[in-house]
Amino acid sequence: MATAMDALDRIVEGNRIYAQKTAAKDPNAFLELSKGQAPEILWIGCADSRIPETTICHSRPGELFVHRNIANCVHADDMNAASVVEYAVAHLKVKRIVVCGHSKCGGAIASLGDADLGTTLNTWLHPARELRRRHKAELDALPDDDVRALRLAELNVHQSIDVLRQHPAVKKAVGDRGLTVHGLIYDIGAGQLRLLEDAAARGKGNGLWSPNRH
Amino acid sequence: MAEQQEVQKYLQQSHDKIFESNKKWAEEQKAKNPQFFDELQKGQSPDYLWIGCSDSRIPAEAITGLGPGEMFIHRNIANLVCNVDLNVMSVVNYAVRHLKVKHIVVCGHYGCGGVKAAMTPQDLGLLNPWLRNIRDVYRLHEKELDALEGEARYDRLVELNVVEQCRNIIKTAAVQQSYAENEFPIVHGWVFGFKDGLLKDLKVDHEAILKDIQKIYNLTN
Repeated sequence: MATAMDALDRIVEGNRIYAQKTAAKDPNAFLELSKGQAPEILWIGCADSRIPETTICHSRPGELFVHRNIANCVHADDMNAASVVEYAVAHLKVKRIVVCGHSKCGGAIASLGDADLGTTLNTWLHPARELRRRHKAELDALPDDDVRALRLAELNVHQSIDVLRQHPAVKKAVGDRGLTVHGLIYDIGAGQLRLLEDAAARGKGNGLWSPNRH
Repeated sequence: MAEQQEVQKYLQQSHDKIFESNKKWAEEQKAKNPQFFDELQKGQSPDYLWIGCSDSRIPAEAITGLGPGEMFIHRNIANLVCNVDLNVMSVVNYAVRHLKVKHIVVCGHYGCGGVKAAMTPQDLGLLNPWLRNIRDVYRLHEKELDALEGEARYDRLVELNVVEQCRNIIKTAAVQQSYAENEFPIVHGWVFGFKDGLLKDLKVDHEAILKDIQKIYNLTN
């Protein structure tokens, strides 16, 4: 039990240091934050501990509105994610939505096979496993499971984006004020983000951001 | 047209910033520890599961001083743990049964927009079913909350909501069974305050709640 309590002391202490440092750098920092939030980006990422969005994007508190779940899935019938999207898009009026998948994703690796993970996780990952079945030929041709899991993570990001585009608030904001939706992949081994090209939209000039566009 | 191009340019710059910042961060980590990313690649074994609010002002790892690999994280509107929500239940299940986390922290915050919305007599469309869970927490503590006014009532509902979500986590089969076998995870309820940037421990008594709920919700066989 001693070690269990030490683990907790650590984050309580970590929070004290954070509060002190933040106030020392800018005495008004918390006062400013307490006034409200106006994030430009909604980040939908994996719950995986290795991808803390604010840290890896070198962002500050107040910049990213965040939803994180197992394997960054957006399912059409999921009220949890739908509520996050509704609040972020219709009320906070974020300008972009980012769906970020990653290499070595436990959810993607599990979705390469059909091992029984219990009904809860089996049900949650079912759409990802269906994705695997639909892309069997492409995945089978890849050299190993690492590459296959990475490709499945990419396909899963695209699928989440497809579902997002059907969300009523997203549909409306895309038309009314140019909200854009983007897919990213985070490489855990390199610590770097990569933008996924929207295959369906390529060359159509639909307002999607791309690194080479001027 | 020119104006539209300006907007596009601005949007691109704000997005470029993320990639630039990310590159800078990755380089800094490698300079500090060349093996940093190789080690992360091998897997994760976080001690903590954090269930917090989606609010942009409370990045869990930043406010607790933890680095990549240390905390498994779920964030939704008003840090709710709903019984029929497959999303959060998958997170709890994976964290407890597969990652074997030692602590689960439910962290709310004062000034929560979700809690505020749930205290407002207004039809919020798609958000109604989600916020309904917070209205139910109000109903459970109606007397106590009605005796308070304004900010005090709002702050107290934030706290009571956290305690209720802790109770909901303890009711899960995953937590009850793991705790019977291993004496972990332990569930904690905290609230983050913008006033000073500090976490307030609501002193949720895991053992007592467990005993209390098991009269009806016992799933340990």
